[in-house]
Amino acid sequence: MNNKKIGFLFGFVCLLLTFAIVVQIKTVKSLGVETNVSFAEDALRDEVLKWKEKYDNASVELSKTEKQLEDKRKKASQKDETSKANEEELKIGNTVLGLIDVSGEGIEITLKDNQTVTTETATSDMSYYVVHDIDIISIINELKNAGAEAISINDERVISTTSITCAGNVAQVNGEKVGAPFIIKAIGDSNTLYEALNRPGGYIELLNSWGIVTNIQKSNNIMIEKYNGVINFKYVKDAK
Amino acid sequence: MKKDKIIVAVTICLICIILVFVMTVQLRTVNETNITLIENMREDELKEQANIWKSKYEETQSKIDEDNKRISEYQEKLENNQETSELLNTELTQMRTILGTTDVLGEGIIIYLQNGEENIISEDLLKLVNELKLAGAEAISINGQRIINLTEIVDVNSYIIINGQRVTNPFEIKAIGNQKYLTSGISSKGGYVDSIQSQNKNITITQEKNVEIPKYSGELKLKTIKIN
Repeated sequence: MNNKKIGFLFGFVCLLLTFAIVVQIKTVKSLGVETNVSFAEDALRDEVLKWKEKYDNASVELSKTEKQLEDKRKKASQKDETSKANEEELKIGNTVLGLIDVSGEGIEITLKDNQTVTTETATSDMSYYVVHDIDIISIINELKNAGAEAISINDERVISTTSITCAGNVAQVNGEKVGAPFIIKAIGDSNTLYEALNRPGGYIELLNSWGIVTNIQKSNNIMIEKYNGVINFKYVKDAK
Repeated sequence: MKKDKIIVAVTICLICIILVFVMTVQLRTVNETNITLIENMREDELKEQANIWKSKYEETQSKIDEDNKRISEYQEKLENNQETSELLNTELTQMRTILGTTDVLGEGIIIYLQNGEENIISEDLLKLVNELKLAGAEAISINGQRIINLTEIVDVNSYIIINGQRVTNPFEIKAIGNQKYLTSGISSKGGYVDSIQSQNKNITITQEKNVEIPKYSGELKLKTIKIN
């Protein structure tokens, strides 16, 4: 009698365990498809690298063809005054657009989040103590107001379609991710730019009051590289 | 009889141990596959990245082709001593359109911003311009002032100065680009429109088939810059 009872119990336990295992195996099988994903992912990684490499190469080649085109254009426009004027306008236009490497006197600004504040010592919301997109936008705007002719943020040239967005301590400029500290370079009259940013009640003063570290330096030789991409408009048409 | 019982008990014990072991192994495998689920999300990101680089490559490549075509056209005309001004003019027209020194039109949106209990300040316009650019705006104007790469938007006393010109309330902001992207770019939940309305300022958006944007009327002069 006792034996029968024990046997029954064990039979039941075995059944339960078998059932559990079957369920487990089924779960693993249905997930099994996704373990293959890591192979697909490796392939994707390769693809990302492949396109990036292709783009980098094309980018170098584009710099060469742009240079060649410029030489040819220059040669072609030596003949008459109108052509010379047109070539000059083209050059100035492309400079303003940010499609040409430039240099000149100007300033360099470094923005760093407040390094000392902690959640305990903060008297306001923590977000006041870090650099935001609007801070960068406002500084760029002040620079333009003071006559800056070319601007870059962490070596990304600011062009007419450049937008700046922030997520955490990473900003996106021209769709590229750039991290803090933010280094803003501007070419223009260095004294005017310096005074404009440092004026009492200016934006830098506001940032300093939040402990955001700002360093502004004048320089005789600021170098700003061209926009690392192609401006391609689809919707704009010339009004006739 | 007693010996038999012990054997049965031991066997069953052994079976139980094996079963528990198998189950543990199984559970672990399931746990591990959960990690690949996270990597699955990365896969989407990877796909996105691959697409970004691919389209960047294609844009660059087509620009190279365009350049090469132009170079050989110049070359040909130079060799045959032909007029090259037409070629130069084509390049100039294209550049002016992007730069903002020509009147342009295209599909887009018009936004009306108006003082409410609170006044519109330059930061409201700066943020709007940034949002529109993010949504792919190709040309923007505020009260007839074309926004180019050198344009400033600043508060001076109670006025707003754009391109050195005074602009006043109400503000009409025109943008050319994909209507859908431009509209959703600023009207998402908690986005630009919500934030303006929560500050008791007025905003309305209309979508237009033909938005006309005037050219930048100032003079472009570069004083300090050197071209390398």
